[in-house]
Amino acid sequence: MITPPIGSQLVDLGSALLLLTCFGIVAQRRLSACVDLFALQSVFLALTATLVAFLTGIHHIYIAAALTVLIKAIVIPRILKKVIERLNVKRELVMNINVPASLLICGALVMVAFLITQPIIPFGHLLTRDSLAIALAIVLIGFFTMIARQKAVTQMIAFLVMENGLFLGATAATYGMPLIVELGVFFDVLVAALIAGIYTNRLQDAFDSVDTAHLSELKE
Amino acid sequence: MLDALVLIVMQTIVLLAVAPFIVGLIRKVKARLQCRRGASVFQPYADLVKLLRKQPVISSTTSWIFTATPYILFASTLAAGLLVPVFISRTPLSFAGNIIALVYLLALGTFFLMLAGLDAGSSFGGMGSSREAIVASLTEPGMMLSIFAIALTAGSTNLSTIVHKTALLEGIVTDPSPHLMAFAALVIVAIAETGRVPVDNPATHLELTMIHEAMILEYSGRYLALVEWAAGLKLLVFLTLIANVSAPWGIATNMEPAALGIGLAAYLVKVSGLAVLIGILESMFAKLRLFRVTDLLGAAFILALLGLVFFYVLRG
Repeated sequence: MITPPIGSQLVDLGSALLLLTCFGIVAQRRLSACVDLFALQSVFLALTATLVAFLTGIHHIYIAAALTVLIKAIVIPRILKKVIERLNVKRELVMNINVPASLLICGALVMVAFLITQPIIPFGHLLTRDSLAIALAIVLIGFFTMIARQKAVTQMIAFLVMENGLFLGATAATYGMPLIVELGVFFDVLVAALIAGIYTNRLQDAFDSVDTAHLSELKE
Repeated sequence: MLDALVLIVMQTIVLLAVAPFIVGLIRKVKARLQCRRGASVFQPYADLVKLLRKQPVISSTTSWIFTATPYILFASTLAAGLLVPVFISRTPLSFAGNIIALVYLLALGTFFLMLAGLDAGSSFGGMGSSREAIVASLTEPGMMLSIFAIALTAGSTNLSTIVHKTALLEGIVTDPSPHLMAFAALVIVAIAETGRVPVDNPATHLELTMIHEAMILEYSGRYLALVEWAAGLKLLVFLTLIANVSAPWGIATNMEPAALGIGLAAYLVKVSGLAVLIGILESMFAKLRLFRVTDLLGAAFILALLGLVFFYVLRG
């Protein structure tokens, strides 16, 4: 049987792996590798959620974990790969902030997340003590990546990374949201990915580029 | 006292014997992944023997640095190897230094190799040295910070203490996240330091890409054998460090013959596993442009820094 301290450490390890893939996404220039990293991150997320479900005995988290694998590790990466293939863009070339500076800023964001959650952590559940800080860090990194990258595909991945962070946060803070809420969120994310895929294709058709900076040229 | 001597001799033999095997294994894995049969995994031994027999040719423009470098490089790398626990958690030279000494022993070898690259006055050598200087200066912070993060979680900078504590699950398991970050940083640093694929390509002689090969172009005969052997040894030292610091299970914690046997077997399995992993990774990635190496090593630095921060935050 897994004792609570060891279980807590395993959950921590899972969360840390999520954070590690976040840094991979920030440092990566090739779009298809970004998608693969996102799929990997979703698998880690599902593993962490399964671990939490197993250790707490709350069964509906299993369903959420299974849905995570199905939607975020299989369906959405496929949609994204299709989009990338159609757009024929292989690399992110337009960056507002270059890679080393992005990495430094992300490191700072992680520290900020830890500082913010520091007062709350002692009141949380024992099992997912440190995951809350990491979840907040992932949300912040996703947010930063959306700002720092100009291509629509990377922004989509960043949005999905933020969503992963929120899911981890929900699992860490309350052992998961009610099942019906989670089903709704999964459906929303899937639809958002579909819409963003279509919108990216439209962007490509209109401007011959997926640089979202072009959108500011639109007039009524 | 006798124990210590036996240990030094055994560890020296194991390190020197396994290093060419690891190089051969990585080449074999890469060859298989490219649908080639590849040379035998024992080919590097044959290469070393052949090179050791040949007469070296030395350029008349070189100074004593050129001939002294292979010996200094080989000796310092071997000394670094004796600071790392290999198949027993005690290290032969633990009285002489800790993890920081390890870093600087390896840096000493790199320093002399860079000097030797410049010494012959050929343009390739100088180019390789200048590139190596860039890579070495960029890996240094990541390496030091990741090693500090690991040392902090174990509460000691002595490698044998760190490995001993981890193997017996004392102290180190309380928070895996700093350990994971430091481990990831250490892997990147090891790849950069040993000149493996995303940073340098050990199988090329193309002037656009080579770093390590450019520095040793002037070497021949027994000098080349020593330099090549030292390069394999350095790779093995890093693999040993990664394997034994992050997963030391199976390592012998006393001098019983049975424990030593298990420790040796576990060590060979772990190091071979890592070598296969490196072979697969090298087949998956293309070499980075030189100016993109900063991205990779920047990531290593940030991860190591986060490892340190996690340690202080989680321990409060």
